[in-house]
Amino acid sequence: MSATTLAWLALALPLAGAIVTALGFRFWRGRAAGYVGTAALFGSFACAIGAFFALQGEPAEGRQLVSALWDYAATAGLDAQLSILVDPLSILMLLVVTGVSALIHLYAVAYMGGDRGYTRFFSYLNFFVFSMVLLVLAGNFLVLIIGWAFVGAASYLLISFWYRRATATAAGIKAFVINVLGDVGLVLGAYFLFRGTGTLDFLTTFERAPEVFAENDGELVAGCILLLVGAFAKSAQVPLHTWLPDAMEGPTPVSALIHAATMVTAGVYLIARMHPLFELAPTAGTVGAIIGCATLLIAATTAMAQTDLKRVIAYSTMSQIGYMVMAVSAGAYVAGLFHLVTHAFFKALLFMAAGSVIAAMAGNQNMDRMGGFRRAMPFTFGCFVIGGLALAGVPPFSGFFSKDEILAYTAERGGIFLVLVLVGYVAAFLTAVYTFRMIFRTFLGEPVPEARELEQGHLHHPEHPTNPASGEIEDTEVGFPGPEHHVAEQSPTMKVAMGTLALLAIVGGFLQIPKVTHLLDDFLEPTFADSIYFEALSPSDAATFVGLGLGALIALAGIATAWLVWVREPGTPAKVRERLRPAYALFVNKWWFDELIGTVIVRPARWLGSFALTAFERLFVQGTLVGGTSGIVRAGSAAVRAAQSGFLRFYVALFLGGMVALTIWFLLQA
Amino acid sequence: MAIEWYLALSALIFVIGAGGVLTRRNPLVLLLCVELMLNAGNLALVAFNRMHGGGDGQIFALMVMVVAACEVVIGLGIIVALYRRHLPIDVDEMRELQG
Amino acid sequence: MNGAAQGASVDWAALSPLLALAGGALVVLMVGLFPGRGVRDRVVPGLALLTLAVTAGLLVWQYDTSTDLLEGALRVDGLTVTLSFVFVVAGMATVVMTWRHLDPVESPGPELYTLLLSSIGGMVVLVAAQDLVTLFLGFELLSIPLYVLCAIQLRRRGSLESGLKYLVVGSVGSATLVYGFALIYGAAGTTGFAGIAEAISGDLSSDVLLLAGLALAIVGFAFKASVAPFHQWTPDVYEGAPTPITAFMATATKAAALGVLLRFLDVALLPAAEAWAPAVAVLAAVTIVVGNVGALGQSSLKRLLAWSGVAQAGYLLAGVVVGTSLGVQATVFYLAVYLLMNMAAFAVIAARERETNLGDSVDALAGLGTSRPWLAWPMTIAMLALAGFPLTAGFIGKFKLIEASVASGYTWVGLMIVIGSMISLAYYLKVIAAMWMREAPAGAAAVAATGPRPALAGASTEAQITAPTRHTRRGTGELTVMAVLFGAATLVVGIVPQPLLDFAAKAGEAFPGLF
Repeated sequence: MSATTLAWLALALPLAGAIVTALGFRFWRGRAAGYVGTAALFGSFACAIGAFFALQGEPAEGRQLVSALWDYAATAGLDAQLSILVDPLSILMLLVVTGVSALIHLYAVAYMGGDRGYTRFFSYLNFFVFSMVLLVLAGNFLVLIIGWAFVGAASYLLISFWYRRATATAAGIKAFVINVLGDVGLVLGAYFLFRGTGTLDFLTTFERAPEVFAENDGELVAGCILLLVGAFAKSAQVPLHTWLPDAMEGPTPVSALIHAATMVTAGVYLIARMHPLFELAPTAGTVGAIIGCATLLIAATTAMAQTDLKRVIAYSTMSQIGYMVMAVSAGAYVAGLFHLVTHAFFKALLFMAAGSVIAAMAGNQNMDRMGGFRRAMPFTFGCFVIGGLALAGVPPFSGFFSKDEILAYTAERGGIFLVLVLVGYVAAFLTAVYTFRMIFRTFLGEPVPEARELEQGHLHHPEHPTNPASGEIEDTEVGFPGPEHHVAEQSPTMKVAMGTLALLAIVGGFLQIPKVTHLLDDFLEPTFADSIYFEALSPSDAATFVGLGLGALIALAGIATAWLVWVREPGTPAKVRERLRPAYALFVNKWWFDELIGTVIVRPARWLGSFALTAFERLFVQGTLVGGTSGIVRAGSAAVRAAQSGFLRFYVALFLGGMVALTIWFLLQA
Repeated sequence: MAIEWYLALSALIFVIGAGGVLTRRNPLVLLLCVELMLNAGNLALVAFNRMHGGGDGQIFALMVMVVAACEVVIGLGIIVALYRRHLPIDVDEMRELQG
Repeated sequence: MNGAAQGASVDWAALSPLLALAGGALVVLMVGLFPGRGVRDRVVPGLALLTLAVTAGLLVWQYDTSTDLLEGALRVDGLTVTLSFVFVVAGMATVVMTWRHLDPVESPGPELYTLLLSSIGGMVVLVAAQDLVTLFLGFELLSIPLYVLCAIQLRRRGSLESGLKYLVVGSVGSATLVYGFALIYGAAGTTGFAGIAEAISGDLSSDVLLLAGLALAIVGFAFKASVAPFHQWTPDVYEGAPTPITAFMATATKAAALGVLLRFLDVALLPAAEAWAPAVAVLAAVTIVVGNVGALGQSSLKRLLAWSGVAQAGYLLAGVVVGTSLGVQATVFYLAVYLLMNMAAFAVIAARERETNLGDSVDALAGLGTSRPWLAWPMTIAMLALAGFPLTAGFIGKFKLIEASVASGYTWVGLMIVIGSMISLAYYLKVIAAMWMREAPAGAAAVAATGPRPALAGASTEAQITAPTRHTRRGTGELTVMAVLFGAATLVVGIVPQPLLDFAAKAGEAFPGLF
């Protein structure tokens, strides 16, 4: 089969899975829906691998295949087809998305086992993967926008999956609203580009862009920045990031899949996909790099002060995506995508391990309450440490190579980018610190009662499950994690999923060892062959090895700091907190971004809204427009129906009257 | 005679027919008036045929006559059906369908 | 015309669909004379369906034909073939709906199908006509059987009333048409379209005779297409006629009337477009407003669809006004789509007439979403499509019509279509809300099982008195299947419109003079 056929199959299988699980929700017993959904995903992954090999079979210059299923509207001047673009970039994303999704589905089969909404969960999850695959395979802006919006909708459904939790629905709505803001940016950006190039197709757009736009052309920059707005909203970049920590209200597999491995990297993919445009509009690229850099620092500092286990990982995700956005905006495409791949492995792993801990704590996510799980859950502990080492960037774990490559390649751009790289190194130190803070606080120290209970071989079940966010008594029928929750230690399928990811988190970095291997470089070359940065950015040997050494030192220093602060002298955090009270307040309050957005956007919007409601809506819209229009329509209706009197002769009269009028009008033409 | 006179006559007949449809309430008379209107058309057709030569207009007029006969037959049939059902033979009474 | 009499060669192949219809009509009439219920209930409808199927087959065979027939009296080309398909499909659906619908005591069997087939034959002649005489013949061959069909429930007052109203107003329309044709003939000196077009492009475009004739002819056609202010028969006749006949009139007759308007205005009178186009555009706008406004607050579904049909005629007229091949394509596409949407809706209405004693009232649909989802979904799709909701065929159809109007400088007509669609949401959504948000009226379905004959539309008290006491409950299986088929087709065309667009573009090819 050709690469495109296989890609279509990879797209179709999750959709089929979603439909089959959804339609049969009355018939599926036990875990049937979970197995169906997981099988669909593994099938999709197999197709992705097939597509990969089929694509590699093509000659290098022919590795950009477009396949259209049908024309939706082939009217004059609009080439809206349902088309996909199969090239190394989309295949890479396809492999990551389907592969990680398949493992996370496998994990969720057991993890969600006791949930009443089991079938619903897998239907949503399959739908999400379908949307995500649609997004990465999109061959034109129309399909991209559809996938983009679908992904946002699926994310909303999954965040508010436990819909009886008020906090979960609120978080879902917040995520949806910010995502829609991003959708608007994307649509407007696509419109700007379409106005210039007259096409929706990606390849044609890239071909025509240099002809119609001058470098840094105002319209092109505006279009690219609007695309960036879409990317920032989806990838949780400052200032559109506040939805991501709240999204942790969703079930943990959702956090692992959507809010770590796949959806939030869509922005990175978008920038990489649009690289010919961003290279024509370097201003937009610089904006993207600066925002990415700001995000990675802000998120890393905020993560230092959080106590909610999943939120720490969420901020860490934001921070890591900041690295990726910075890299792809600066032209270090392969480095950014490399980090995307490794990050998908180790972050999904971290979430799964965290999910296991949270299950052992019966839903409590507060790190202050955790401790000493090392002996109770050795497997989870091992996985968490592997993920943590990769995240912190300790050699030879995957994150070490990818993070280093980002910083080394970005530094090559010189100028302002050097400052950005410096910030990147500072944040790398912070990353190591907060990662090991998490590990030390959760797994070391005195075992908490829940850990002891688990050591005895049975899970802790609270008498009154409470919502960790608000403290409300939870409805266990739809609340976390159901009466029969699972930890990784007890379920083979979860162990398989986590073990595979742990292995990948260790060896993933070997794809691109500086000056030794360059598998990703070679693979992605056809996509970026026309890029001006692809060949030009290549750090010298000296810079490479200095960077590697510095990165390793920083990671180790960070871990050492964490050990000193949280293990050696447990009193230190309080002292530090005392001394750095303002900074601590800044971090613990997440840089007051929610409040900032509150004052800058929400409150004026609300004020405007209430003004609009009272003055505009009530007086003008309701009174004049709606009232007037509906009044006219109603009066017209009454008149027309009164004329429909049933009198035959009246009908004939109107008929003849109309005839005379028309005849007179025609005769006046003469 | 000039064509104008024929046309004037046919227009007059057409208007008489239309007036009859508007003023009469008996469906039978309505059908007669419709016949007048159709035959006004026939008159015009034949007159124009005379003016242009050829046979098209006359053939057209013959067709119209056949059609008019068909319409009257159906009208009569419906009137008979109304009569058998003891419904009023008056178009102003037929107002069940309205609004 | 007299050429055929002299034995000039006749293209029997191109003529075959028409011959099949005529022959089928005769065979059905003859076979119907045999006694026995089996003949009346099974053989005759079966033969009618067979005739239509054969016609469809012959149309497929003649799909690429483009030729003049009988000395230029008829023309079989893309427009004829595509619209004939619409008629034949509408006819088939009507036969299926009629099959068990009319009470055998009160309505005749075989004549009904003969009349239906002749009417379809008239429609084919009408859209194929290239000459005023054949055009008029087709017009009457289409209309006269319909008068009878409307009045075919001889024992029901509403049916008789609708038949008589249709007949009287229709005859006035015919007389107007004849008078208009006479004047055009007088001005042009010929009855052939080609000759008329030639004469007009000479110096006749400001001729008084021609313009008056043109006005009268347009009135005649506008009447048939239910264009305001010549629309007033539509709601009354639609409500009074038996539901299957209403469905047939709503879809096939509309297609025929619009088809002949396309042929007449865009072929014979294209050189005079400056004279008629603005007037027709105004008529379109008035029709859109009147139809949509009239549909508000209707409680009879058939009446509601009648008013909606008036509005849709306005939309369709926009495609005629523009006089471009894009407009022709848009019109034919919308006619085909309109057939799908309306047939789905009428099948549901007919099914509910049989199942409840509420007739065609909106109340008959209450609670349908839970009790009969297989009826509720097609109805929902049909209503959304009629309102022009995206992802349905109606959306693509309206989109094409608006595109055609805007492309030819009739932006304001396109705007009227949009405004009309917005108003129309009010009454279409009311139907949907009734199905999904209201409880079924207590006992409505139970009455149908035990009570007397289910009431027909607008049934009067007299009708119920004379209704036969012997009543067998009539099933609705075939109607459900039909509703689902047409509903699914509406959805599929909304998602994959290209094949049907290509089909409609075939009609546009029939107009070489357009660009």
